[in-house]
Amino acid sequence: MSDTVIRTRYGTGLSARIRREPGLWLGLAVMALLLLICLFPGLFATASPFEIDTAAALQGPSAQHWFGTDDVGRDTYSRVIHGARVTLSICAGSLLISALVGGALGMVSGFFGGLVDQVLGRLVDVMLSFPPIVLGIIITGVLGPELQNLILALSVVYMPVFFRIARAGSMAQANLSYVEAARSVGLRESTILRRHLVRNVAPLLMTQYMILFPLILQIQAALGFLGLGVQPPTPDWGALLEQGKDYILFAPWMSVFPGLAVLLTAFALILVGRALQGRIDSR
Amino acid sequence: MLAYLVKRLGASLLTALLATFLVFVFVRMVPGDVVAQMMGQAGSDRAEEALRAFFGLDQPVWMQYFAWLGDVLRGDFGVSWTRGMPVTEMVGEAFLVTLELGLLTLALATIVGVPLGIIAGIYEGRALDTTIQAFNILGLAAPVFWVGLMILVGVSATFSWSPPLRFQGPTEDLSENLAMLLLPILSLGFLQAAAYSQFVRQSVVSAMHEDYVRTAIAKGMPTRTVFFKHILRNVAIPIVTFMGLILIQILGGVVIIESLFALPGLGRLLLSAIETRDYPIVQGALLVVVVVAMVVNLVVDLVYHLLDPRLRIS
Repeated sequence: MSDTVIRTRYGTGLSARIRREPGLWLGLAVMALLLLICLFPGLFATASPFEIDTAAALQGPSAQHWFGTDDVGRDTYSRVIHGARVTLSICAGSLLISALVGGALGMVSGFFGGLVDQVLGRLVDVMLSFPPIVLGIIITGVLGPELQNLILALSVVYMPVFFRIARAGSMAQANLSYVEAARSVGLRESTILRRHLVRNVAPLLMTQYMILFPLILQIQAALGFLGLGVQPPTPDWGALLEQGKDYILFAPWMSVFPGLAVLLTAFALILVGRALQGRIDSR
Repeated sequence: MLAYLVKRLGASLLTALLATFLVFVFVRMVPGDVVAQMMGQAGSDRAEEALRAFFGLDQPVWMQYFAWLGDVLRGDFGVSWTRGMPVTEMVGEAFLVTLELGLLTLALATIVGVPLGIIAGIYEGRALDTTIQAFNILGLAAPVFWVGLMILVGVSATFSWSPPLRFQGPTEDLSENLAMLLLPILSLGFLQAAAYSQFVRQSVVSAMHEDYVRTAIAKGMPTRTVFFKHILRNVAIPIVTFMGLILIQILGGVVIIESLFALPGLGRLLLSAIETRDYPIVQGALLVVVVVAMVVNLVVDLVYHLLDPRLRIS
Protein backbone atom coordinates (compact mmCIF):
# COMPACT_ATOMS: atom_id res chain seq x y z
CA MET A 1 0.00 0.00 0.00
CA SER A 2 1.53 3.29 -0.99
CA ASP A 3 1.45 6.44 1.10
CA THR A 4 -0.66 8.27 -1.44
CA VAL A 5 -3.48 5.79 -1.17
CA ILE A 6 -3.57 6.14 2.58
CA ARG A 7 -3.51 9.93 2.50
CA THR A 8 -6.34 10.30 0.01
CA ARG A 9 -8.72 8.14 2.04
CA TYR A 10 -9.56 10.18 5.09
CA GLY A 11 -11.99 9.20 7.80
CA THR A 12 -11.83 7.82 11.28
CA GLY A 13 -14.98 5.66 11.36
CA LEU A 14 -14.74 1.91 11.38
CA SER A 15 -15.81 1.54 7.75
CA ALA A 16 -13.17 4.04 6.65
CA ARG A 17 -10.52 2.21 8.62
CA ILE A 18 -11.56 -1.10 7.10
CA ARG A 19 -11.42 0.40 3.61
CA ARG A 20 -7.96 1.75 4.32
CA GLU A 21 -6.53 -1.55 5.53
CA PRO A 22 -8.84 -4.34 4.33
CA GLY A 23 -6.18 -7.00 4.84
CA LEU A 24 -5.65 -6.14 8.49
CA TRP A 25 -9.36 -6.22 9.27
CA LEU A 26 -9.98 -9.43 7.36
CA GLY A 27 -7.14 -11.00 9.31
CA LEU A 28 -8.47 -9.67 12.62
CA ALA A 29 -11.96 -10.98 11.84
CA VAL A 30 -10.66 -14.49 11.15
CA MET A 31 -8.51 -14.33 14.28
CA ALA A 32 -11.53 -13.30 16.37
CA LEU A 33 -13.49 -16.25 14.99
CA LEU A 34 -10.59 -18.59 15.77
CA LEU A 35 -10.39 -17.24 19.30
CA LEU A 36 -14.09 -17.99 19.79
CA ILE A 37 -13.57 -21.51 18.43
CA CYS A 38 -10.65 -22.04 20.79
CA LEU A 39 -12.57 -20.76 23.80
CA PHE A 40 -15.91 -22.44 23.09
CA PRO A 41 -15.34 -25.37 20.74
CA GLY A 42 -18.56 -26.94 22.00
CA LEU A 43 -20.58 -24.16 20.40
CA PHE A 44 -19.19 -24.93 16.96
CA ALA A 45 -18.68 -28.69 16.97
CA THR A 46 -21.55 -30.88 15.84
CA ALA A 47 -20.31 -34.09 17.44
CA SER A 48 -17.78 -35.39 19.92
CA PRO A 49 -14.22 -35.36 18.54
CA PHE A 50 -13.57 -38.75 20.13
CA GLU A 51 -16.75 -40.73 19.48
CA ILE A 52 -15.97 -43.77 17.34
CA ASP A 53 -18.59 -45.15 14.97
CA THR A 54 -17.00 -47.79 12.76
CA ALA A 55 -20.22 -48.18 10.77
CA ALA A 56 -19.76 -44.61 9.54
CA ALA A 57 -16.02 -44.86 8.78
CA LEU A 58 -14.43 -43.05 5.81
CA GLN A 59 -17.61 -41.31 4.67
CA GLY A 60 -17.33 -38.25 2.43
CA PRO A 61 -18.65 -34.84 3.42
CA SER A 62 -22.42 -34.84 3.96
CA ALA A 63 -25.13 -32.87 5.78
CA GLN A 64 -24.45 -34.90 8.89
CA HIS A 65 -20.65 -34.94 8.67
CA TRP A 66 -19.65 -31.65 7.03
CA PHE A 67 -15.98 -32.61 6.61
CA GLY A 68 -16.64 -36.37 6.33
CA THR A 69 -15.46 -39.01 8.79
CA ASP A 70 -12.10 -40.65 9.49
CA ASP A 71 -11.04 -44.30 9.45
CA VAL A 72 -12.89 -45.08 12.69
CA GLY A 73 -15.94 -42.96 11.93
CA ARG A 74 -15.09 -39.88 13.97
CA ASP A 75 -16.50 -36.57 12.71
CA THR A 76 -13.64 -34.70 10.98
CA TYR A 77 -15.35 -31.30 11.30
CA SER A 78 -15.61 -31.63 15.09
CA ARG A 79 -12.03 -32.86 15.28
CA VAL A 80 -10.82 -29.85 13.31
CA ILE A 81 -12.84 -27.52 15.56
CA HIS A 82 -11.50 -29.08 18.76
CA GLY A 83 -8.04 -29.24 17.19
CA ALA A 84 -7.90 -25.44 16.98
CA ARG A 85 -7.47 -25.10 20.73
CA VAL A 86 -4.81 -27.83 20.93
CA THR A 87 -2.79 -26.61 17.96
CA LEU A 88 -3.05 -22.88 18.52
CA SER A 89 -2.44 -22.95 22.26
CA ILE A 90 0.70 -25.02 21.77
CA CYS A 91 1.94 -22.56 19.15
CA ALA A 92 0.97 -19.45 21.12
CA GLY A 93 2.51 -20.76 24.35
CA SER A 94 5.74 -21.98 22.77
CA LEU A 95 6.22 -18.75 20.88
CA LEU A 96 5.58 -16.78 24.08
CA ILE A 97 8.32 -18.72 25.87
CA SER A 98 10.52 -18.08 22.87
CA ALA A 99 9.86 -14.33 22.92
CA LEU A 100 10.31 -13.98 26.68
CA VAL A 101 13.51 -16.00 26.96
CA GLY A 102 15.00 -14.90 23.64
CA GLY A 103 13.97 -11.31 24.22
CA ALA A 104 15.34 -11.14 27.75
CA LEU A 105 18.66 -12.73 26.79
CA GLY A 106 18.92 -10.48 23.75
CA MET A 107 18.30 -7.32 25.75
CA VAL A 108 20.85 -8.25 28.40
CA SER A 109 23.32 -9.24 25.71
CA GLY A 110 22.90 -6.03 23.73
CA PHE A 111 22.87 -3.74 26.75
CA PHE A 112 25.85 -5.10 28.65
CA GLY A 113 27.90 -6.51 25.77
CA GLY A 114 31.16 -8.15 26.75
CA LEU A 115 31.70 -11.83 27.32
CA VAL A 116 28.00 -12.66 27.79
CA ASP A 117 27.25 -11.10 24.42
CA GLN A 118 30.09 -13.02 22.78
CA VAL A 119 29.01 -16.39 24.13
CA LEU A 120 25.29 -15.94 23.51
CA GLY A 121 25.95 -14.52 20.05
CA ARG A 122 28.00 -17.56 19.11
CA LEU A 123 25.31 -19.91 20.41
CA VAL A 124 22.67 -18.10 18.39
CA ASP A 125 24.83 -18.39 15.27
CA VAL A 126 25.00 -22.13 15.82
CA MET A 127 21.23 -22.41 16.17
CA LEU A 128 20.68 -20.31 13.08
CA SER A 129 22.95 -22.58 11.07
CA PHE A 130 20.15 -25.20 10.99
CA PRO A 131 17.01 -24.59 8.95
CA PRO A 132 14.24 -24.11 11.59
CA ILE A 133 12.30 -27.26 10.71
CA VAL A 134 15.48 -29.33 10.93
CA LEU A 135 16.12 -27.98 14.42
CA GLY A 136 12.56 -28.93 15.36
CA ILE A 137 13.00 -32.44 13.97
CA ILE A 138 16.26 -33.00 15.82
CA ILE A 139 14.82 -31.95 19.17
CA THR A 140 11.51 -33.80 18.95
CA GLY A 141 13.05 -36.76 17.17
CA VAL A 142 15.77 -37.30 19.74
CA LEU A 143 13.74 -36.51 22.85
CA GLY A 144 10.61 -38.33 21.70
CA PRO A 145 7.12 -37.20 20.70
CA GLU A 146 5.83 -35.91 24.02
CA LEU A 147 4.03 -32.66 24.62
CA GLN A 148 6.76 -31.03 26.70
CA ASN A 149 9.37 -31.93 24.08
CA LEU A 150 7.22 -30.47 21.33
CA ILE A 151 6.85 -27.24 23.31
CA LEU A 152 10.59 -27.19 24.00
CA ALA A 153 11.36 -27.67 20.30
CA LEU A 154 8.89 -25.02 19.18
CA SER A 155 10.17 -22.49 21.68
CA VAL A 156 13.81 -23.06 20.76
CA VAL A 157 13.35 -22.86 16.99
CA TYR A 158 12.75 -19.10 16.76
CA MET A 159 14.47 -18.04 19.97
CA PRO A 160 17.52 -16.78 18.03
CA VAL A 161 15.28 -14.46 16.01
CA PHE A 162 13.84 -12.85 19.13
CA PHE A 163 17.33 -12.70 20.60
CA ARG A 164 18.72 -10.82 17.63
CA ILE A 165 15.86 -8.34 17.49
CA ALA A 166 16.00 -7.60 21.20
CA ARG A 167 19.79 -7.32 21.06
CA ALA A 168 19.75 -4.89 18.14
CA GLY A 169 16.92 -2.93 19.74
CA SER A 170 18.61 -2.52 23.08
CA MET A 171 21.97 -1.72 21.50
CA ALA A 172 20.33 1.07 19.56
CA GLN A 173 18.61 2.37 22.69
CA ALA A 174 21.66 2.00 24.93
CA ASN A 175 23.45 4.83 23.15
CA LEU A 176 20.56 7.28 23.13
CA SER A 177 20.72 10.37 25.29
CA TYR A 178 17.83 9.48 27.55
CA VAL A 179 19.71 6.40 28.73
CA GLU A 180 22.75 8.55 29.32
CA ALA A 181 20.58 11.02 31.21
CA ALA A 182 19.12 8.25 33.33
CA ARG A 183 22.62 7.04 34.09
CA SER A 184 23.83 10.53 34.98
CA VAL A 185 21.10 11.00 37.58
CA GLY A 186 22.34 7.84 39.21
CA LEU A 187 19.90 5.17 38.10
CA ARG A 188 21.27 1.67 38.30
CA GLU A 189 21.93 -0.22 35.06
CA SER A 190 19.37 -2.89 35.93
CA THR A 191 16.75 -0.19 36.57
CA ILE A 192 17.47 1.46 33.21
CA LEU A 193 17.19 -1.90 31.54
CA ARG A 194 13.88 -2.62 33.19
CA ARG A 195 12.30 0.80 33.02
CA HIS A 196 13.46 2.14 29.67
CA LEU A 197 14.74 -0.55 27.38
CA VAL A 198 12.01 -3.10 27.96
CA ARG A 199 9.40 -0.52 27.10
CA ASN A 200 11.09 0.28 23.80
CA VAL A 201 12.03 -3.22 22.78
CA ALA A 202 8.70 -4.85 23.68
CA PRO A 203 6.79 -3.50 20.65
CA LEU A 204 9.48 -4.92 18.35
CA LEU A 205 9.14 -8.31 20.02
CA MET A 206 5.35 -8.23 19.81
CA THR A 207 5.42 -7.50 16.10
CA GLN A 208 7.91 -10.28 15.60
CA TYR A 209 5.63 -12.57 17.58
CA MET A 210 2.85 -11.95 15.08
CA ILE A 211 5.19 -12.43 12.13
CA LEU A 212 6.57 -15.71 13.45
CA PHE A 213 3.21 -17.13 14.53
CA PRO A 214 2.24 -18.44 11.05
CA LEU A 215 5.72 -19.94 10.67
CA ILE A 216 5.62 -21.73 14.01
CA LEU A 217 2.13 -22.98 13.14
CA GLN A 218 3.50 -24.57 9.99
CA ILE A 219 6.38 -26.15 11.85
CA GLN A 220 4.00 -27.47 14.49
CA ALA A 221 1.81 -28.96 11.78
CA ALA A 222 4.82 -30.40 9.96
CA LEU A 223 6.12 -32.07 13.12
CA GLY A 224 2.65 -33.48 13.73
CA PHE A 225 2.55 -34.70 10.15
CA LEU A 226 5.89 -36.47 10.62
CA GLY A 227 4.53 -38.15 13.76
CA LEU A 228 6.81 -36.10 16.00
CA GLY A 229 4.14 -33.76 17.36
CA VAL A 230 0.88 -34.23 19.21
CA GLN A 231 -0.09 -37.89 19.31
CA PRO A 232 -3.51 -39.31 18.40
CA PRO A 233 -6.28 -39.53 19.50
CA THR A 234 -5.85 -35.89 20.61
CA PRO A 235 -7.33 -33.74 17.85
CA ASP A 236 -4.47 -31.61 16.54
CA TRP A 237 -4.27 -30.27 13.01
CA GLY A 238 -0.86 -31.77 12.33
CA ALA A 239 -1.85 -35.11 13.87
CA LEU A 240 -5.06 -35.13 11.79
CA LEU A 241 -2.97 -34.62 8.67
CA GLU A 242 -0.63 -37.42 9.68
CA GLN A 243 -3.62 -39.68 10.16
CA GLY A 244 -5.15 -38.69 6.81
CA LYS A 245 -1.93 -39.32 4.88
CA ASP A 246 -2.52 -43.07 4.57
CA TYR A 247 -6.03 -42.54 3.22
CA ILE A 248 -5.17 -39.67 0.92
CA LEU A 249 -6.43 -41.35 -2.25
CA PHE A 250 -9.60 -42.91 -0.75
CA ALA A 251 -10.60 -40.27 1.77
CA PRO A 252 -8.92 -36.98 0.80
CA TRP A 253 -11.33 -35.01 3.03
CA MET A 254 -9.43 -36.30 6.03
CA SER A 255 -6.48 -34.22 4.82
CA VAL A 256 -8.16 -31.39 2.93
CA PHE A 257 -9.93 -29.76 5.88
CA PRO A 258 -7.26 -29.83 8.61
CA GLY A 259 -4.85 -28.43 6.02
CA LEU A 260 -7.31 -25.71 5.11
CA ALA A 261 -7.59 -24.85 8.79
CA VAL A 262 -3.80 -24.35 8.96
CA LEU A 263 -3.83 -22.39 5.72
CA LEU A 264 -6.68 -20.08 6.74
CA THR A 265 -5.17 -19.42 10.16
CA ALA A 266 -1.72 -18.72 8.76
CA PHE A 267 -3.27 -16.49 6.08
CA ALA A 268 -5.05 -14.36 8.69
CA LEU A 269 -1.94 -14.16 10.87
CA ILE A 270 0.22 -13.10 7.94
CA LEU A 271 -2.23 -10.33 7.01
CA VAL A 272 -2.20 -8.95 10.54
CA GLY A 273 1.55 -9.37 10.91
CA ARG A 274 2.23 -7.47 7.70
CA ALA A 275 0.00 -4.59 8.77
CA LEU A 276 1.81 -4.37 12.11
CA GLN A 277 5.19 -4.54 10.43
CA GLY A 278 4.14 -1.71 8.10
CA ARG A 279 3.29 0.46 11.11
CA ILE A 280 6.61 -0.23 12.81
CA ASP A 281 8.49 0.53 9.60
CA SER A 282 6.72 3.81 8.96
CA ARG A 283 7.43 5.05 12.48
CA MET B 1 38.52 -8.52 0.43
CA LEU B 2 40.80 -11.46 1.18
CA ALA B 3 41.01 -10.54 4.84
CA TYR B 4 37.24 -10.38 4.97
CA LEU B 5 36.95 -13.76 3.31
CA VAL B 6 39.38 -15.36 5.73
CA LYS B 7 37.55 -13.87 8.69
CA ARG B 8 34.19 -15.08 7.40
CA LEU B 9 35.52 -18.56 6.72
CA GLY B 10 37.04 -18.75 10.18
CA ALA B 11 33.79 -17.72 11.86
CA SER B 12 31.82 -20.21 9.76
CA LEU B 13 34.17 -23.05 10.62
CA LEU B 14 33.95 -22.27 14.31
CA THR B 15 30.15 -22.23 14.13
CA ALA B 16 30.08 -25.52 12.24
CA LEU B 17 32.40 -27.08 14.79
CA LEU B 18 30.24 -25.91 17.67
CA ALA B 19 27.11 -27.13 15.87
CA THR B 20 28.56 -30.63 15.43
CA PHE B 21 29.62 -30.68 19.07
CA LEU B 22 26.18 -29.66 20.34
CA VAL B 23 24.47 -32.25 18.15
CA PHE B 24 26.96 -34.86 19.27
CA VAL B 25 26.33 -34.23 22.95
CA PHE B 26 22.58 -33.74 22.54
CA VAL B 27 21.88 -37.08 20.85
CA ARG B 28 23.93 -38.86 23.53
CA MET B 29 22.19 -37.17 26.44
CA VAL B 30 18.98 -39.06 25.87
CA PRO B 31 18.38 -42.55 27.27
CA GLY B 32 17.69 -45.31 24.78
CA ASP B 33 20.67 -45.65 22.45
CA VAL B 34 21.22 -47.83 19.42
CA VAL B 35 22.27 -50.79 21.58
CA ALA B 36 19.06 -50.72 23.61
CA GLN B 37 17.09 -50.58 20.36
CA MET B 38 18.99 -53.48 18.79
CA MET B 39 18.81 -55.74 21.82
CA GLY B 40 15.32 -54.91 22.95
CA GLN B 41 14.30 -57.01 25.96
CA ALA B 42 16.39 -59.96 24.85
CA GLY B 43 19.91 -58.66 25.45
CA SER B 44 21.89 -59.62 28.52
CA ASP B 45 23.74 -56.89 30.36
CA ARG B 46 27.07 -58.30 29.29
CA ALA B 47 26.15 -58.42 25.63
CA GLU B 48 24.88 -54.85 25.82
CA GLU B 49 28.07 -53.70 27.48
CA ALA B 50 30.17 -55.41 24.85
CA LEU B 51 28.21 -53.83 22.04
CA ARG B 52 28.44 -50.39 23.68
CA ALA B 53 32.20 -50.82 23.93
CA PHE B 54 32.25 -51.82 20.25
CA PHE B 55 30.53 -48.56 19.27
CA GLY B 56 32.69 -46.61 21.70
CA LEU B 57 29.62 -45.58 23.68
CA ASP B 58 31.30 -46.58 26.94
CA GLN B 59 33.80 -43.73 26.60
CA PRO B 60 33.20 -40.24 28.01
CA VAL B 61 31.30 -38.06 25.51
CA TRP B 62 34.13 -35.62 24.95
CA MET B 63 36.52 -38.44 24.10
CA GLN B 64 33.99 -39.87 21.66
CA TYR B 65 33.67 -36.43 20.09
CA PHE B 66 37.36 -35.89 19.59
CA ALA B 67 37.74 -39.37 18.17
CA TRP B 68 34.94 -38.65 15.73
CA LEU B 69 36.31 -35.22 14.86
CA GLY B 70 39.77 -36.66 14.26
CA ASP B 71 38.33 -39.21 11.87
CA VAL B 72 36.22 -36.59 10.09
CA LEU B 73 39.24 -34.37 9.56
CA ARG B 74 40.92 -37.35 7.92
CA GLY B 75 37.84 -37.75 5.70
CA ASP B 76 36.44 -40.74 7.56
CA PHE B 77 32.84 -40.23 8.67
CA GLY B 78 32.53 -43.71 10.12
CA VAL B 79 30.11 -46.52 9.42
CA SER B 80 26.35 -46.58 9.92
CA TRP B 81 25.56 -48.43 13.14
CA THR B 82 22.40 -49.98 11.83
CA ARG B 83 23.22 -50.65 8.19
CA GLY B 84 26.97 -51.19 8.32
CA MET B 85 27.60 -49.03 5.26
CA PRO B 86 30.07 -46.12 5.18
CA VAL B 87 28.41 -42.85 6.22
CA THR B 88 30.09 -41.02 3.36
CA GLU B 89 28.43 -43.31 0.86
CA MET B 90 24.95 -43.18 2.40
CA VAL B 91 24.94 -39.45 3.09
CA GLY B 92 26.55 -38.75 -0.27
CA GLU B 93 23.91 -40.66 -2.21
CA ALA B 94 21.10 -39.06 -0.24
CA PHE B 95 22.63 -35.63 -0.67
CA LEU B 96 22.66 -35.99 -4.46
CA VAL B 97 18.91 -36.67 -4.43
CA THR B 98 18.29 -33.67 -2.19
CA LEU B 99 20.58 -31.51 -4.28
CA GLU B 100 18.76 -32.36 -7.51
CA LEU B 101 15.41 -31.73 -5.86
CA GLY B 102 16.63 -28.49 -4.30
CA LEU B 103 18.18 -27.03 -7.44
CA LEU B 104 15.21 -27.87 -9.66
CA THR B 105 12.89 -26.37 -7.03
CA LEU B 106 15.04 -23.26 -6.92
CA ALA B 107 14.86 -23.02 -10.70
CA LEU B 108 11.06 -23.22 -10.67
CA ALA B 109 10.80 -20.74 -7.79
CA THR B 110 13.06 -18.29 -9.63
CA ILE B 111 11.36 -18.61 -13.01
CA VAL B 112 7.92 -18.07 -11.48
CA GLY B 113 8.70 -15.90 -8.49
CA VAL B 114 11.04 -13.24 -9.86
CA PRO B 115 8.85 -12.08 -12.79
CA LEU B 116 5.75 -12.13 -10.58
CA GLY B 117 7.50 -10.00 -7.98
CA ILE B 118 8.75 -7.52 -10.57
CA ILE B 119 5.29 -7.19 -12.13
CA ALA B 120 3.63 -6.75 -8.74
CA GLY B 121 6.20 -4.13 -7.76
CA ILE B 122 5.77 -2.14 -10.96
CA TYR B 123 1.98 -2.18 -10.69
CA GLU B 124 2.08 -1.37 -6.99
CA GLY B 125 -1.36 -0.80 -5.50
CA ARG B 126 -3.30 -1.89 -8.58
CA ALA B 127 -5.47 -4.94 -9.13
CA LEU B 128 -2.65 -6.99 -10.67
CA ASP B 129 -0.45 -6.30 -7.65
CA THR B 130 -3.25 -7.27 -5.26
CA THR B 131 -3.83 -10.53 -7.13
CA ILE B 132 -0.16 -11.47 -7.09
CA GLN B 133 0.10 -10.54 -3.43
CA ALA B 134 -2.89 -12.74 -2.63
CA PHE B 135 -1.06 -15.61 -4.35
CA ASN B 136 2.06 -14.77 -2.38
CA ILE B 137 0.34 -14.77 0.98
CA LEU B 138 -1.50 -17.99 0.16
CA GLY B 139 1.82 -19.55 -0.77
CA LEU B 140 3.41 -18.37 2.46
CA ALA B 141 0.45 -19.63 4.49
CA ALA B 142 0.10 -23.10 2.95
CA PRO B 143 1.89 -25.99 4.68
CA VAL B 144 4.22 -27.55 2.13
CA PHE B 145 3.31 -31.19 2.81
CA TRP B 146 -0.39 -30.36 2.53
CA VAL B 147 0.12 -28.74 -0.85
CA GLY B 148 2.03 -31.87 -1.84
CA LEU B 149 -0.87 -34.06 -0.74
CA MET B 150 -3.39 -31.89 -2.60
CA ILE B 151 -1.33 -31.94 -5.79
CA LEU B 152 -1.02 -35.72 -5.46
CA VAL B 153 -4.80 -36.10 -5.12
CA GLY B 154 -5.51 -33.60 -7.87
CA VAL B 155 -3.12 -35.19 -10.33
CA SER B 156 -4.23 -38.74 -9.66
CA ALA B 157 -7.92 -37.77 -9.94
CA THR B 158 -7.54 -35.67 -13.08
CA PHE B 159 -4.92 -37.57 -15.06
CA SER B 160 -5.17 -40.92 -13.27
CA TRP B 161 -1.41 -40.71 -12.96
CA SER B 162 0.71 -41.34 -9.91
CA PRO B 163 4.46 -41.02 -9.49
CA PRO B 164 6.67 -44.14 -9.77
CA LEU B 165 7.22 -46.05 -6.55
CA ARG B 166 10.95 -46.62 -6.77
CA PHE B 167 13.42 -43.78 -7.01
CA GLN B 168 15.95 -43.93 -9.82
CA GLY B 169 18.88 -41.59 -10.26
CA PRO B 170 19.03 -39.24 -13.24
CA THR B 171 21.82 -41.31 -14.78
CA GLU B 172 19.85 -44.56 -14.41
CA ASP B 173 16.60 -43.50 -15.97
CA LEU B 174 16.11 -39.78 -16.47
CA SER B 175 12.40 -39.84 -17.32
CA GLU B 176 11.52 -42.02 -14.31
CA ASN B 177 13.71 -39.82 -12.16
CA LEU B 178 11.98 -36.64 -13.27
CA ALA B 179 8.55 -38.29 -13.00
CA MET B 180 9.27 -39.04 -9.38
CA LEU B 181 10.57 -35.55 -8.68
CA LEU B 182 7.82 -33.71 -10.56
CA LEU B 183 5.24 -33.45 -7.78
CA PRO B 184 7.70 -32.58 -4.99
CA ILE B 185 9.23 -29.88 -7.18
CA LEU B 186 5.81 -28.48 -8.05
CA SER B 187 4.61 -28.35 -4.45
CA LEU B 188 7.77 -26.90 -2.97
CA GLY B 189 8.57 -24.72 -6.00
CA PHE B 190 5.29 -22.88 -6.04
CA LEU B 191 5.42 -22.13 -2.34
CA GLN B 192 8.95 -20.83 -2.60
CA ALA B 193 7.98 -18.86 -5.71
CA ALA B 194 5.46 -17.05 -3.53
CA ALA B 195 8.11 -16.21 -0.95
CA TYR B 196 10.56 -15.15 -3.65
CA SER B 197 7.96 -13.02 -5.40
CA GLN B 198 7.11 -11.27 -2.15
CA PHE B 199 10.77 -10.39 -1.52
CA VAL B 200 11.33 -9.18 -5.06
CA ARG B 201 8.15 -7.09 -5.01
CA GLN B 202 9.34 -5.27 -1.91
CA SER B 203 12.68 -4.35 -3.40
CA VAL B 204 11.11 -3.25 -6.69
CA VAL B 205 8.64 -1.08 -4.78
CA SER B 206 11.39 0.60 -2.80
CA ALA B 207 13.47 1.10 -5.96
CA MET B 208 10.45 2.70 -7.65
CA HIS B 209 10.24 5.26 -4.87
CA GLU B 210 13.90 6.28 -5.17
CA ASP B 211 14.66 9.83 -6.25
CA TYR B 212 16.71 8.77 -9.24
CA VAL B 213 13.77 6.84 -10.65
CA ARG B 214 11.45 9.79 -10.17
CA THR B 215 14.03 12.06 -11.81
CA ALA B 216 14.46 9.71 -14.74
CA ILE B 217 10.71 9.59 -15.31
CA ALA B 218 10.40 13.36 -14.87
CA LYS B 219 13.04 14.12 -17.45
CA GLY B 220 11.11 12.02 -19.95
CA MET B 221 13.19 8.86 -20.10
CA PRO B 222 11.23 6.03 -21.73
CA THR B 223 9.68 3.65 -19.19
CA ARG B 224 11.55 0.71 -20.65
CA THR B 225 14.90 2.43 -20.16
CA VAL B 226 14.01 3.46 -16.62
CA PHE B 227 13.10 -0.10 -15.86
CA PHE B 228 16.19 -1.76 -17.26
CA LYS B 229 18.73 0.89 -16.36
CA HIS B 230 17.56 2.04 -12.96
CA ILE B 231 15.20 -0.43 -11.43
CA LEU B 232 16.42 -3.82 -12.57
CA ARG B 233 20.03 -2.99 -11.89
CA ASN B 234 19.28 -2.03 -8.31
CA VAL B 235 16.98 -4.95 -7.75
CA ALA B 236 19.57 -7.46 -8.98
CA ILE B 237 21.42 -7.44 -5.67
CA PRO B 238 18.45 -8.30 -3.44
CA ILE B 239 17.36 -10.93 -5.97
CA VAL B 240 20.68 -12.72 -5.52
CA THR B 241 20.51 -12.41 -1.75
CA PHE B 242 17.01 -13.83 -1.70
CA MET B 243 18.12 -16.72 -3.86
CA GLY B 244 20.39 -17.82 -1.04
CA LEU B 245 17.64 -17.36 1.51
CA ILE B 246 15.19 -19.33 -0.62
CA LEU B 247 17.72 -22.11 -1.12
CA ILE B 248 18.10 -22.48 2.64
CA GLN B 249 14.32 -22.52 3.03
CA ILE B 250 14.14 -25.20 0.35
CA LEU B 251 16.74 -27.20 2.27
CA GLY B 252 14.33 -27.22 5.22
CA GLY B 253 11.29 -27.89 3.04
CA VAL B 254 12.77 -30.91 1.30
CA VAL B 255 13.06 -32.72 4.62
CA ILE B 256 9.27 -32.91 4.87
CA ILE B 257 8.51 -33.27 1.20
CA GLU B 258 10.98 -36.15 0.89
CA SER B 259 9.25 -38.15 3.57
CA LEU B 260 5.89 -37.47 1.94
CA PHE B 261 6.95 -38.59 -1.54
CA ALA B 262 9.28 -41.36 -0.38
CA LEU B 263 12.39 -39.79 -1.90
CA PRO B 264 15.65 -41.28 -0.57
CA GLY B 265 17.14 -37.87 0.20
CA LEU B 266 18.99 -36.34 3.10
CA GLY B 267 15.83 -35.46 5.03
CA ARG B 268 14.43 -38.96 5.01
CA LEU B 269 17.82 -40.41 5.89
CA LEU B 270 18.10 -38.00 8.80
CA LEU B 271 14.61 -38.86 10.07
CA SER B 272 15.19 -42.60 9.99
CA ALA B 273 18.65 -42.25 11.53
CA ILE B 274 17.23 -40.21 14.42
CA GLU B 275 14.59 -42.87 14.93
CA THR B 276 17.08 -45.74 15.05
CA ARG B 277 19.65 -43.69 17.02
CA ASP B 278 22.19 -44.22 14.27
CA TYR B 279 24.46 -41.42 15.52
CA PRO B 280 27.15 -41.51 12.81
CA ILE B 281 24.47 -40.96 10.15
CA VAL B 282 22.74 -38.23 12.18
CA GLN B 283 26.05 -36.42 12.63
CA GLY B 284 27.11 -36.84 9.02
CA ALA B 285 23.77 -35.73 7.60
CA LEU B 286 23.51 -32.72 9.89
CA LEU B 287 27.07 -31.70 9.13
CA VAL B 288 26.16 -31.65 5.44
CA VAL B 289 23.05 -29.55 6.12
CA VAL B 290 24.98 -27.03 8.20
CA VAL B 291 27.88 -26.81 5.77
CA VAL B 292 25.56 -26.35 2.77
CA ALA B 293 23.70 -23.55 4.55
CA MET B 294 27.01 -21.89 5.37
CA VAL B 295 28.41 -22.21 1.89
CA VAL B 296 25.22 -20.70 0.47
CA ASN B 297 25.46 -17.77 2.87
CA LEU B 298 29.12 -17.26 2.06
CA VAL B 299 28.55 -17.34 -1.70
CA VAL B 300 25.67 -14.88 -1.34
CA ASP B 301 27.94 -12.56 0.61
CA LEU B 302 30.64 -12.76 -2.01
CA VAL B 303 28.27 -12.15 -4.92
CA TYR B 304 26.84 -9.26 -2.94
CA HIS B 305 30.27 -7.72 -2.69
CA LEU B 306 30.92 -8.23 -6.38
CA LEU B 307 27.60 -6.74 -7.47
CA ASP B 308 27.57 -3.73 -5.19
CA PRO B 309 30.52 -1.41 -5.76
CA ARG B 310 29.64 0.55 -2.63
CA LEU B 311 30.57 -2.44 -0.48
CA ARG B 312 33.80 -3.10 -2.32
CA ILE B 313 35.47 0.07 -1.07
CA SER B 314 34.89 -0.61 2.60
